[in-house]
Parts: sequence; structure tokens; C-alpha cells
Amino acid sequence: MNVISNSLSLLLFPGGLFLLVVGLFYHWFDRKLLALLQNRVGPRWFQPFADTLKLLSKEEVIPDGVNPFLFMSLPLIALAGTLTAALYIPLAGLPPLSGFSGDLIVVLYLLSLLTLCMGLAGANTMDRFSLIGATRTLTQLFSYEAPFMLALLGPALAAGSWQVGEITNYAQGHWLILTQPLGFLVALVGLMGKLELPPFDAPEAHTEIVAGALTEYSGRGLAVFNLGKAVELVLGLTLVSALYLGGLSNPLWFVLKTLALLFVMGGVQALLTRLRIDQTVGLWWRYGTLLVLVQWLVMILVRG
Amino acid sequence: MNTEQILTLAEGIAKSWDWATEVSRPRPNCLDVKVNVLKELVPIIVGLRVKRLGYLSAIVGMDLGVDADELEVLYHFCPGGAVITLRVRIPRQNAVLPSLCEIIPSAEVYERELREMFGVEITGLHNAQRLYLPDDWPTGIYPLRKDFDPAVLAGMSGTGKPQKTNLSPNGFTIPIGPQHPALKEPGHFQFTVEGEIVTGAYVRLGYAHRGMEKAVEERNWVQNLYLLERVCGICSHIHAMAYSLAVEQLANVQAPPRAQAIRVLVAELERIHSHFLWMGVSAHEAGFDTLFMYSWRDRETVMDMLEGLTGNRVNYSANVLGGVKFDVTPAQTASIRVGLDFLEERARHYLNVLKNDEMFLQRTRGIGVMTRAQAEVMGAVGPTARASNVPRDVRVAAPYSAYAQFPVQMILDERGDLEARFEVRVLELFESIRLIRRILDCMPEGALSVKFPRRIPAGEAVVCLEAPRGEVLYYAKSNGTDKPERLKVRTPTICNLNSVVRLVVGHQLADVPMILAGIDPCFSCNDRMVQVIDGSERMLTWAELRQYGIDHYKRLVK
Repeated sequence: MNVISNSLSLLLFPGGLFLLVVGLFYHWFDRKLLALLQNRVGPRWFQPFADTLKLLSKEEVIPDGVNPFLFMSLPLIALAGTLTAALYIPLAGLPPLSGFSGDLIVVLYLLSLLTLCMGLAGANTMDRFSLIGATRTLTQLFSYEAPFMLALLGPALAAGSWQVGEITNYAQGHWLILTQPLGFLVALVGLMGKLELPPFDAPEAHTEIVAGALTEYSGRGLAVFNLGKAVELVLGLTLVSALYLGGLSNPLWFVLKTLALLFVMGGVQALLTRLRIDQTVGLWWRYGTLLVLVQWLVMILVRG
Repeated sequence: MNTEQILTLAEGIAKSWDWATEVSRPRPNCLDVKVNVLKELVPIIVGLRVKRLGYLSAIVGMDLGVDADELEVLYHFCPGGAVITLRVRIPRQNAVLPSLCEIIPSAEVYERELREMFGVEITGLHNAQRLYLPDDWPTGIYPLRKDFDPAVLAGMSGTGKPQKTNLSPNGFTIPIGPQHPALKEPGHFQFTVEGEIVTGAYVRLGYAHRGMEKAVEERNWVQNLYLLERVCGICSHIHAMAYSLAVEQLANVQAPPRAQAIRVLVAELERIHSHFLWMGVSAHEAGFDTLFMYSWRDRETVMDMLEGLTGNRVNYSANVLGGVKFDVTPAQTASIRVGLDFLEERARHYLNVLKNDEMFLQRTRGIGVMTRAQAEVMGAVGPTARASNVPRDVRVAAPYSAYAQFPVQMILDERGDLEARFEVRVLELFESIRLIRRILDCMPEGALSVKFPRRIPAGEAVVCLEAPRGEVLYYAKSNGTDKPERLKVRTPTICNLNSVVRLVVGHQLADVPMILAGIDPCFSCNDRMVQVIDGSERMLTWAELRQYGIDHYKRLVK
């Protein structure tokens, strides 16, 4: 029985299929919200689903000069990485499916796998836009990764555990956004950087480099990458709200807290101008890291 | 220096030494210098340049026909409100002219055009690559010569590949265009980059060349009005107006005051429309899509005003030769005033955003700086030049049509960066709104048009108008029949494009689309050729195209 229920949790709910559907739904929510803020109509609710189905049914054109094996496997690795990360995250307000001491670090690395795969996918092709996009994707990864990680380790320090499940339990009694506002800010903005949302969309700035690293992807590969990004959106939102917004004790809180976070992110996306890649790096290393270090200093002093 | 002083000075230069020049004054603001000895051309231009009269507005080539066996080339200099024309004649066979690139760098594009279209060999040209014509265009065939026969192009495949350029042999080249998300119209740019820094730039045009200058020679004066209105989709009115003014000058006809006022009214509404559109596009290039969406929403207001006034959103078709087509009724006046109030409030909001949004300022402040000296040397025009503190506005320097009655305040900015280009354009919005209110307040009474002759007496006319993007120059020559002998359209983008190609070097790749958009480029203005191709790659004849249009609208009505 245990095997069956475990595989159901992995494949259907709350992992697997459920996660993909929620990811696409959150993706739609983000697009629709941005459209409304920008005085547009925006897509209908099933648009991301329709796009994914269309892309999945399309032939993937493998361009000249790429390693075909890498070209096809990178999207799969990216999606697999994000889905694996879901194992350790309290999805839909339920406790994580699995966990061990220090799984927070594993989750952070699994979430970076998507970005890494996108960078490799861009560098794999001969396309100039892809190459520049790949350079920018990886440059951006190196700039936000350290502050983002430090910001998520703040709650871990407070909870005295590096296991996501335990931190979430601790956070249910403590709204860490109140005690660690700087860490929350960096984590939220870092999440936007991770998801390459405006204003951190220089790696896919379409007025300069078309679609960035993924320019050459047109069919299934693109669909799988998009699914990976959608899943990462949900996972990132869940993680930040679980750690900072008083935990996720039931599905209702999950929906409310993650959507509230997405709402804030939508507003930021609508308000700001895209940063150049040098400005992104400068922002993270000059302000992001500094803020998070100040947060840590305060925490260490208070706990004394 | 006023126009009279400029002309006296220029006349002095042209007649100094014992140069064999013939000088005449066909119109009060025009000086016509016939340079009989080719060697004297460059010294005269150096003289003009030294006296700061060397703003070269256009080089117009003309084929005097197989019988005369000569080409005529006109150099139009437009300092202030004056027009100084230098005229040289060269033999049709073995046509050679010296290049002006060393004296006036902006002459390069005009000389390349002259070389392609008329087969004038230019000695000392820095860049002799093709600018407009396809790469598989046969050599020795010059489309604007009078004996050009389109039949020779029958064997052209139309699949010519772009030339290989050697910007830097080891560099990494980023192509932008002809199809690229940053460009809404086809143009081709190549940028070599080192990392993110641009080290070289190259431009190629002609992807939508419609051969309009040739086409006007086949149509009569009235038909051409409709053709030229379609030079550009955004500043359509200014082209029709420039053409009307040129032809009216040739025919010695003046449109009545009310018609002049209505022309200026539509021109200023068009400027508002164009500047709002530009603001959105530029913000989009910077990745600020919210400003893009908002400014395009507000642009709908002015589009509605134009539609209410003229019946059309794009090609307003306001002009006829000798006047305008429609009157402005009190009801229209009232609705325009309401719209203007809204637009003024919005423009104030945008000015606030452009001046105070820190994130946006990071992308505009100190980016793409063009000093006044650079702007003058590169021959920049319009808001691009005014943002670099170059006082160049035809509406102020040489008020045409009703601008003498409704004067304009020139908006200048000395910073010369993208922020200045944004601010100048938004401030021009306020100026246009003020002007439109003033015109509506004091609209002259009277007729809307005068009777216009069918045949135009032989002669030449040069008119300069201030389009939203800068100075537009129209040169028209009549031979006494009902068709023009030669018509030259010089649009502002071609002047400003020069500056962009030089400005982007040393900037980040991310700034390139914004600097490009900063001059408000319009490729349809530069390129003028029509070729409608359906799925079977068949060219439609005019009759078929007309029938297609009729059927299309019949389907719509059903």
C-alpha cells in the first residue's frame, strides 16, 4: 500500500501532474495580473495549457552544429531537477514527501539546475543570440545565487535546523518576515532574478537578443523548459512563503500566501524597467549581499 | 544671422576669386549657384562650412535625358531658413564627382544613394557598399536614370544574400534585422561586440524600397499626392503637405489662410500622435512595457481626434493641391479640446515618470550622449538635434504655411543623452497642444481651397518642413507638363541614422535598441518601393491590386 500511495504522491498529487497544472495556472495568474496592471486584456485561463499542448505536439527542429543528445536532454534534466526539488518542499500545505537534515541546500541546488541547463542549452547552439543569452543567464546566476541562498538560510538559522520540513514547522509559530524583513526582501527579489522575471529579464531581453538562450528551441524542448520554469515558479513561491510568511499549515494558506506573494511580484514587474546585465550584477553584489549580511549580523547579535 | 544675411554671405563666398559661378535668387530665401567648373565645387563647400553655413540637407541627382547627355547634381544647404543650392553638371558617361565625406561626414549616405541610383562615381567615398539596391542588382543599371527599363530586371532572382562585411575579422557579430523583435520595420544592422560592449556598427537599408521617386515621374501631379502621402504611415500628413507646398510654389498658387491653418492643425495632431507612439516604442526597447502600453492607450485619443476630423486614422488625406478637403466644425473643435485636456494631463504624468523614475533614468541618463558639435557634424535633425542643443527647427527658422501666424517655441536641451531626447519630445507635446488650442481659438475664416491648374509651369521648388522626426526636404522640378520631371524626398531618418551608427560604439549591447529608437527611426520613410507578392510569388499588376481592394471591401460590407 505504501508503495502505491508513494507513487501516487509523486506522480499525481501533490507532486508530478498536480505540480505541472498548478505551475501553469500560476504562470497564467502572473501573465494576467501583469496584463491588467498594464491596461491590457491578457490571456484566457487556459492559454498556458494550450501553449504547452501545442508545443508538445510540434516537431523539435534540431539546428546544425549542436550536440543533439545535449539539445534534447537538457530540458528533461531541467524539469527533472525542479520536480525532484518538490520532494522536499511542503507543497499545497502538506508536509514534504521526504526530508533529511540539510535538504534545504539540496533544494537550492536543484532549483539552480534549471538555470544551469538553460545556460548550457544556449551555449550548445551556434546561434549568436543564444550565446549572448547563455552568457547573461549564467552571469545572472552567479550574481543572485549567493545572496538568495544566504537569505533562505536566515530562517534556517532561526529555526536551528537545515531541513525544510522542520523550518516550516518552526515558522508556523513565527512570522519571520517581521523579524527578518531584509532577508525576506532579498529572498523575494532573488526569486524574481531566478525566474528571470522583469526587471531581471536581461537574459531574454527580446529587443536585443530575441529569446536569449532558448532562441533555437521551438517544440517539445521549449515546452519542457517552460514547464520547468512554471514548476520553479510554484516551488520558489512555496519555499519563500513557507520560510518567511508563517509556514503553510493547510491548502488554503498555501493558495492565499503564494498568490499574495505573486501579486507583489506582479506589481514589481509592472513598475520597473529592465536592468542591464552589469546593473543586475552591481545590484546584487553591492546591495543584495550587503543587506543579507546586515540581516545576519543583526541575527547573530540578537541571539548573542 | 537672419536669412538675408546668410544669403548675402553665401553669395559672397560663391562669387569670390575668379570662380566661374552664376548666382541667382529664384525666391527670397533661395540662392542658386551654378558651378560651371567642377574643381570649384569643393572650395565653395569648404567656404560654406567655414562660415557655418555647411548644413548639407540633401544631394539631389537628376538625369537631363539621353539627348542632353548630362546629369545634374544639386547640393542643397539649408542653414537657418535659407536654401543654398549648388548645381553641377557632369557628363552621363563617365560621371565622376569628388566625395564630400572629408568636409561633411553626413554626405556619405547621400553620395552612396547618388552612386546607386544615377551611376555617379564618387572619388574618395569611405564606404562604397550598396545602401538601398539589392545585392544581386545588375551592375551598370541605374534606376533613376531616364532611360532605365524595368525589363532588364526580369532575370533577377531576388534572393541576393547580404554582403559580407568586415567590421572586425575576429569579432563576434550580432545581426539586428531585417527581421528582429527590436525593429518593427525592416532594416539591417550589424554590431560587433566584445563581451557586451559594441565595437563596430554597420547599416544596410532597402528592404522595403518602393521606388517612389521613380513612380512619381509616371503619374500626374494630382495622383502623386496620394502616392506621397504613403511614404510614411506615421507622418503621412507632413509628406502630403510638403508635396502640396512644393507644387503650389511651382504653380504660384497660395492656399487660403483657413486651409493653411487646418494643415498646421493636422500636422501638430500628427506630431502628438508620433511622439506618443515613439515614447511607447522606446520604453519597450528599455523593457519598460507598462509605459509602452499606457502611452499607446493614450495615443488612441489623438488617433480618434484625427479620425473624427479627417475620417482616417493613418493616411488622413487632408490635403488637396491648393487647399484642404474638409472644414473644422464647432462640434469637432469641442471634442478636440476635450481630448487635448486629457492628453496634456497624461503628458505631464509621463514627464514626471521620465524625470523621476530611478530605474528608467538608469537606462537613459548619460546614455548615447551626442554633443552639439557631433550633432552638427553628423547632420542630425529634429528632436534628436534639439536634444543636443542644436537650434534646428524649420517651423522657427523658416515658418511655412500658417506657422508665421502661429509661432512655435523651440525646445532645446543641452545634455544630448537619451533622457534629453525623451524630455525634448514630451515638452514638444505641450508646445503642440498649446499651438492647436491657439489655432482653434483664432481659426481664420474663408474658403478651403482655390482652383488649381492642371498643368504646372516649368520650374523648380525646394521646401523644407518640420516632420515629427525632423526636417523633411522636398525638391520638385516641373517641365511644363502634367507630370513632374523629378521629385526628391529626403526624410529625417536618413540624416539621423548616420549619428546612431557612430554613437553606439563603446556602449553596452543592451543600450543599442534604445539608442536606435532614440532617433525615432522610420525605415518606410527611407525605403520607398512597392512589391505585393502572394503565395505563388507573383507580382500583382495595378489593375489586379485595384480589383483585389474592391473585392476585399465588398466582402467586408457583406
